[in-house]
Amino acid sequence: MESFYLSKTEDTPSIVLDPSKNIFEIAFRSLPEDANGFYEPVLKWLDMFYDNPLPKVVFVFYFEYFNTSSAKQIAKILLYLEKLSHKSEVSILWKYTKNDADMYSTGVRYSRSLSLNFEFLPV
Amino acid sequence: MFTQLPTNTEGLSFGFKLFRGMQEDNLSYIYRGLFTQTITDSIISLAENNLESTGETSKVRKRVFSIMVECLQNITRHQTVEGEEFNDSSIPGIFMIQRKDDGYFITSGNVVPNIATPKLRSQLEKINSLQQDQLKDYYKQILEDGSISDRGGAGLGLIEMARKSGNKLTFDFAKVNDDISYFYLHTAISKEAEGSSFVPVNLDNIKSIHQLANEEEIVLVFNGVLNQESLINLLSIIEGQMRGRVDIKKKVYNIMVEMLQNIVKHAAKVEDDSIIGNPGIFFISSKNNSYSLCTGNYIQNKKVDELRVKLEHVNSLKGEEIELFYSMRLLNFEIDNSKEAGLGVIDLRMKSGNNLDYSFSKVNDSVSFFTLQVSLQ
Repeated sequence: MESFYLSKTEDTPSIVLDPSKNIFEIAFRSLPEDANGFYEPVLKWLDMFYDNPLPKVVFVFYFEYFNTSSAKQIAKILLYLEKLSHKSEVSILWKYTKNDADMYSTGVRYSRSLSLNFEFLPV
Repeated sequence: MFTQLPTNTEGLSFGFKLFRGMQEDNLSYIYRGLFTQTITDSIISLAENNLESTGETSKVRKRVFSIMVECLQNITRHQTVEGEEFNDSSIPGIFMIQRKDDGYFITSGNVVPNIATPKLRSQLEKINSLQQDQLKDYYKQILEDGSISDRGGAGLGLIEMARKSGNKLTFDFAKVNDDISYFYLHTAISKEAEGSSFVPVNLDNIKSIHQLANEEEIVLVFNGVLNQESLINLLSIIEGQMRGRVDIKKKVYNIMVEMLQNIVKHAAKVEDDSIIGNPGIFFISSKNNSYSLCTGNYIQNKKVDELRVKLEHVNSLKGEEIELFYSMRLLNFEIDNSKEAGLGVIDLRMKSGNNLDYSFSKVNDSVSFFTLQVSLQ
């Protein structure tokens, strides 16, 4: 399956979805004007990945900041991963800058609402 | 115009005062603070974006751009004297743009040492005494003299401003103490062809706005077109400006994004449909270590009641209820069009830890003016 790479901009994150290297990561800032539109290709990609997944997936989120409309899209991505966890061994690595209490509790909020294996890592 | 009294009258009434003052004076932008390279770059991008979004001709855009650059360089140059940093952030400078039907008006105010004022005054008087063609010769003459300091002194920037604007430069000084004064410089840029000149103006109003901004510790006031690009420029200015605790800085950043994107996405346009973005006002002040952010924008009358209900509900939530409500909304994708508050509004309440202050004032049969203020300690 083809990998998905996107470089970060001032208002959108960097995205790596690469099954050949087993790297899945979304990082930096996310405050696009149209979060729905921005994350749509990611959700489409995950949809396809579901049909032919890897046995083990570690999905990394390492956000510096995201706005509330991105929060909603990230929730969608996590729901996809929850679905995938019935087929593959999925875990979420929630990285955050040390002392960023807000980003930590944002991750905790997701982990409480979903049945997914979350690991928290201050960097 | 503003009829309904908000709950926090002190803060908001000041906001109203400022909004009205800005409307009356056609002020579209005030920045007060330290002028670093990053900040001045963002100020310029912000102005460029606004000139483009409102469909200004490229000729006028270029003229405004080049004068802004000279003006901002003039401020940064005077932040140091004889190679030493002297203008610390406790005496911030100010930069303003006014947009009127016939032109743009750029004003800077920055601190200069009193010993430097006679030279500045004589340079400016000399420049103002010359005609356009004489300015060119004067410029060459100074270059050939080689009497330019490493800070590009000798008034070359000032000559450029006079040449490019085609108008006399208005200036004034206001003594701060025995050592320093504020130096105000005001340039008029005509929208018409070269040669049309403006009558020199009195800068008293600018001075009083500066005083008000100093008293209220205003960091930035923006009155213009809000779109994603101007949002990014505003964020970069505030990021560059803020000192102090990182967590507070992050919260201010978060709150700014949600407040401004609300305008970008939901505000109503008035008069001109062709502009790219929505008209809005934003200001941020940092009095006594507590930040106050305020937005004002038009909203369609038919949407007022719905928004009021959302805000009332979010304000009525206590402690855990807010977190619960947020989590519930976060994972519910069916209710995005419902009358319940969106995540943005809940987030503002959570991040600030305070109730949201707001007011609606009917402007005409189709729109109202909505102001929202978020404070955080």
